[in-house]
Amino acid sequence: MPPAASAPAAALLCGEVRTHLLPVHQALDIRTAAQFLGLRADERVLLSERPNLYARSPDTLTGVDCPLPTADGARTRAVGTVAARAALTEGRVLQSSAHVTLPAAGPDRRRPWGEYLVRPGVAEPVGKLPPDAVADGVLGGGRPGDLDLGAIADGLLTRLLRHPLIDHRPPLRSRPTRLRWAALPAAPDEEPSLEFTLAEDHLRTVRLRVPEGTPAAEVAGLCDDLALHDWLLTTVVRLFDGIRPDTPAVLAALRPAVDHLLHLWMPRARVTGDLAPLWDELETRPGFTRQWETLVRRIRDQLALHAIPSPHREAELTP
Amino acid sequence: MLVFAASDKGGTGRSVTSANLAYQRALNGDHVAYVDFDFGSPTAAAVFDVPDAVRGTRERGLHSYLEGRATEPAVIDVWRRTENPVLRAWPNQSGRLVLFPGDAGGGEFATDEEALERCVDLLLRLNAEFDVIMVDLSAGRSYAVDMVLAATAHPRMRHVRSRWLVFHRWTRQHVIAASGLVHDEHGILDSGVARGHDGDALRGSIRFVRAAVPDPDSALWSRVSPAQAAWMQSTDEALRRLAAEYAIGDSVVLGVVPLEPILQWREQMITEEDVLATQIANKETLKALEEIARKLTDDTCWGRP
Repeated sequence: MPPAASAPAAALLCGEVRTHLLPVHQALDIRTAAQFLGLRADERVLLSERPNLYARSPDTLTGVDCPLPTADGARTRAVGTVAARAALTEGRVLQSSAHVTLPAAGPDRRRPWGEYLVRPGVAEPVGKLPPDAVADGVLGGGRPGDLDLGAIADGLLTRLLRHPLIDHRPPLRSRPTRLRWAALPAAPDEEPSLEFTLAEDHLRTVRLRVPEGTPAAEVAGLCDDLALHDWLLTTVVRLFDGIRPDTPAVLAALRPAVDHLLHLWMPRARVTGDLAPLWDELETRPGFTRQWETLVRRIRDQLALHAIPSPHREAELTP
Repeated sequence: MLVFAASDKGGTGRSVTSANLAYQRALNGDHVAYVDFDFGSPTAAAVFDVPDAVRGTRERGLHSYLEGRATEPAVIDVWRRTENPVLRAWPNQSGRLVLFPGDAGGGEFATDEEALERCVDLLLRLNAEFDVIMVDLSAGRSYAVDMVLAATAHPRMRHVRSRWLVFHRWTRQHVIAASGLVHDEHGILDSGVARGHDGDALRGSIRFVRAAVPDPDSALWSRVSPAQAAWMQSTDEALRRLAAEYAIGDSVVLGVVPLEPILQWREQMITEEDVLATQIANKETLKALEEIARKLTDDTCWGRP
């Protein structure tokens, strides 16, 4: 192995996740999910049935040689590969995500491709990497031609949605979300931290400080989990938009949530080790599970009300 | 539901009317996408009054997307980006109204197999997200019309419902041209069947909208001389006979939009404000638009008459 294969410390990890309702009439079972996500003949799909049905494709690699997005407009080029993968939860929610590890510095000129391919999912800067400026650039979105992890994730999604197993009969209309994340190593005396922001146009950004040496795949796993639960909240909140209480439309609007979404809530199902406590911050503020439980109660109350024949449902509002 | 807006000639008010229909549906709580497939002259930015938003996304219009130069097409949230003050104050409980702009300075282009697949990808994604997708097509038998006929016949689109609105002005030439666009050799029906559509089903999904129609009974024309009034009546009747003869008679008309200076000259959204506060638009026009918007999803108005 050439010396290049020894992994230098990561100065920045970043990625983007797209979360979609899988547009199929019936959720995929675990066997079909494996067939659907079999992107590579040489690697198996990861399947898990506890605590919920989950399937994850092998990583696919995309070669990149392009400028990195930077908040201050500085030009830093990176060469290497971006890893992308797709995951399916309960055969119903499809996520495609791309991530890359950026070391602090790289050689001043591009090396032969083979040397990049031995380290999948790593892109080396040409020269020194300004990690903070690139983290801001990734979260804020780059200029045309910059490294675009969202486009790589979206390309994978497009490929999957063309699969013949997909019948394009979604049980409800829903809006996909995008979540961009950037993780910088925490200083030795610093606690890991996470900052979650809702930006416009269904974009979410997550800025993290993670223990030095945390693999990108682990951070990507945490961010996939965040994106999934944020999408669930967003989608169920939206079901209440524009429906007038006490009309039959309420049942039609809420029923798909009961059939397809309510059982998907399971935060931290696949978040490992050091990163699990980061979820706790979100549970305190803004309180993901608290909001979810309120929504679920609201849906159940509405359905219970509609189980009562309407003449008896009319409440006298005056004392 | 996909709604394709077509016309044989320019100047039928196709873009401005279909944008108004999109606006009306969004006011009623639907999530609406307006897709500008008028590749020759994308005008939606002017209609929705979002010129700056479009200028910023020049390289990522639908043209670039279909040709594979952009991975995702640009999207503009009309409520948030419009410079029209009335639209900015969109009412509580309205749905989303989102514009997918064309490329500035784009032209017609030949569609290949990959562009068709990308078109299908886009329409399927929009269908999973929006209640109504209004697609504005270039005038005439354009590549845009061919492409969406092929896309809607694609096996991946088999569960997606689509409907067509053909806009024409209320003149002899326009009636004949609109009929030709649908019924002539190489018209929408012919090309649709050649691409695998069922002729009857396709015919049942096409309705006509008569635009810029002077209503002889309206207050606007109440002061014309008796001779003029009589002439207008008889011309109107002659046109109805002509339309029936050309298979675009009343039974396949979804709506009639009156002649309305604000649509002709301002080419923008007609709002309640225009009717009630400033009174620069006629309430009949707004009513006609609301009615057509409602009928888009009223199944009793569609199918073989």
